[in-house]
Amino acid sequence: MDRDTRDMLLETATRFFAERSAKDVVNGVEKGVWPADLWKEIEEMGLPLIAVPEELEGVGGTLADLMALLRVAGEHAVPVPVAETALANLLVAAAGGKPATGPSTLALGDLSLQGGRVSGKVARVPFAGVAERFVSIVTTGGKSTLVVVPRDAATIEDAPSHAGEPYGSVSFDGATPEFSAASTVSADRALELAALARSMQMAGAADKVLVTATEYCKQRVQFGRPISTFQAVQHMLAELASYVAATIAAAEAAARDADEGGLADGGSFSIAAAKTQCSDFAHRIAAISHQSMGAMGFTHEHILHHYTRRLWVWRRDFGSESFWGEKIGQSFARAGKDDLWPALSESRYAA
Amino acid sequence: MVHPTIEIMMSIPKLEFPPFHLPAEAEALREEVRAFLKETLPKIKTEDRFASWNTASPEFSRALGAKGWLGITWPKQYGGAERTFLDRLVVTEELLGNSAPAGSHWVADRQSGPLLLKFGTEQQRQAILPRIVKGECYFSIGMSEPDSGSDLASVRTRAEPVPGGFRVNGTKVWTSGAHRNHYCITLVRTSGQHGDRHKGLSQLLVDLKTPGITIRPIINLAGRHDWNEVTFSDAFIPEDCLIGNEGDGWLQVTSELAFERSGPERFMQNVYVLRELVRVLGRQPAKRASAILGRLIARLWTLRQMSTAVAGMMQGGKSPAIEASLVKDLGTIYQQDLPEIARTLAESDATTEDDLADFLDVAQYATMMAPSYTIQGGTTQVLRGIVARGLGLR
Repeated sequence: MDRDTRDMLLETATRFFAERSAKDVVNGVEKGVWPADLWKEIEEMGLPLIAVPEELEGVGGTLADLMALLRVAGEHAVPVPVAETALANLLVAAAGGKPATGPSTLALGDLSLQGGRVSGKVARVPFAGVAERFVSIVTTGGKSTLVVVPRDAATIEDAPSHAGEPYGSVSFDGATPEFSAASTVSADRALELAALARSMQMAGAADKVLVTATEYCKQRVQFGRPISTFQAVQHMLAELASYVAATIAAAEAAARDADEGGLADGGSFSIAAAKTQCSDFAHRIAAISHQSMGAMGFTHEHILHHYTRRLWVWRRDFGSESFWGEKIGQSFARAGKDDLWPALSESRYAA
Repeated sequence: MVHPTIEIMMSIPKLEFPPFHLPAEAEALREEVRAFLKETLPKIKTEDRFASWNTASPEFSRALGAKGWLGITWPKQYGGAERTFLDRLVVTEELLGNSAPAGSHWVADRQSGPLLLKFGTEQQRQAILPRIVKGECYFSIGMSEPDSGSDLASVRTRAEPVPGGFRVNGTKVWTSGAHRNHYCITLVRTSGQHGDRHKGLSQLLVDLKTPGITIRPIINLAGRHDWNEVTFSDAFIPEDCLIGNEGDGWLQVTSELAFERSGPERFMQNVYVLRELVRVLGRQPAKRASAILGRLIARLWTLRQMSTAVAGMMQGGKSPAIEASLVKDLGTIYQQDLPEIARTLAESDATTEDDLADFLDVAQYATMMAPSYTIQGGTTQVLRGIVARGLGLR
């Protein structure tokens, strides 16, 4: 979509999430209350269909548009699987299928496909507790097959994330998919796209943490003045801003590179580097924001933990900094020192 | 209980780093620079392998000038190539990425030349700029004094107006390269009193061979002679060496510092450590070693994305002061973390004892240089003050 259309979408989404993904809704999800109205409105707005071509019943737009939306979703701790469902729809559409309604999620892991039936177990599947279907890409003999397995063909063990979202393990024991087709997107690539989505959500959440901590320190009075007037606090927040800035810059650069390269293989290195970076700084972002807000920010009553706990969960989702860092390190070590700078300057794995 | 409303939150400026692609012309230039360096660097003798950015090599600077890559953005009438600021960024990246000895020319190219172009007299521009472009004329920065570091407005060096010029008395310190450079752009008080702060300051284009100027080495902790103490004792500086108007010194200095903040020299000065680390870890490091290496590479990549985004905003006519300060803050701390993380990793995972010994030499040098990064060109604390102001905290 063009710049103006995207800006309008993001503005609308910002207003909508601010109003509808409010504190009580986020807390409700943690208590096991599925916000059916919120989900319904998200679907009515077509958000999980962004980047799915219109001829496949999507709403059009690019991968970059979807990623920009997910940054806004992260900024509001939207406690429903917008990212997961949108990516599931995108993968299904890329394999020639039609997107379905209702929340979906990605079960990316080591699955096998025999005689058209899916087997295997995937741990830490986001929103496994509420998803109506699981989308995965299975590799057999070098070929990638997209499978969509309905909820009732899977065994789900609830294991809520530390942010209180309904994550869980999903097992398939010869499950029959409701749809399967050859996929141009590989299993590795699906993981990259999911990691990119999380990076953008982390950028949004990091941004919100900075704004929240900064505003708090401007209002909180101790020793007769706002604590934001103490140089020690100013420097903490400036340091926080540097980690938030890095998170945003890395995620945005990866989203751009992925979009320009195309769904099947664009920006692989940038995504790996961005997820590594976003995950790496989550710790400092959480630590400094909590320190600046004292006991208040450590309460369940305050919203800060909606963001810091998500940062702690999201840094591990779809590959942590150890996972992606290892991939990067292996590639650069294998190539040797002479390709270090050329590869880095071209945002590619070393060769 | 404080619950910020949306309206209040809007009052905090959003940090934005819009991804920016360097244009095709700049990338084409990169290839040329790379090819040139590949051929030239092995022939250049330098005083040591790893101090590249601070290693003076007039021979190398002249070769770079002959290619037309110094003063690359300046008007053709002064010998410049009238190329974009992004072309200059690419040249700088390649010099750093390949550890080229840029010590002779980089101050002149990065800030002294642009300063003269913006504020200098026509006569100064014609006399100096073409020589910088050829890689023949080098500059020092005369800002800091024994009692004026971060608090630059407190300078005491005084330039008394006398017939035909100024009589200058005072002392400048940490003056890099003054012992081998030609000029020093010197911040002095030309009117008013010491307590007048920003008022009454001016900058002079000082020929370092002027009688009355004494240059003494200040050896740094690594044993290197980069810095000097430059003493003015009744040194006569002709009036045509005044840069811009009398009293505009503060304005000039602040605009000059803006050239300094977000460039690749803020995070790539010791990239050789990373390169050597890759070498000593061998082709198949263990999982944990790979992951740590990968995290170092991801941080460097991120800094580059940030720096490029700032360049893009500047090219688009914006002045992203907060974003630029954030790049320097993060970048200089990266340069401090890198030798430390790399050393411990090499100690556990270097493939051979010989490689480890070599690497520890490199890391030791980088460790000794590391404290300087967060001090020069605006300390971390000064930068964080700028960012805090941007966040509306002061």
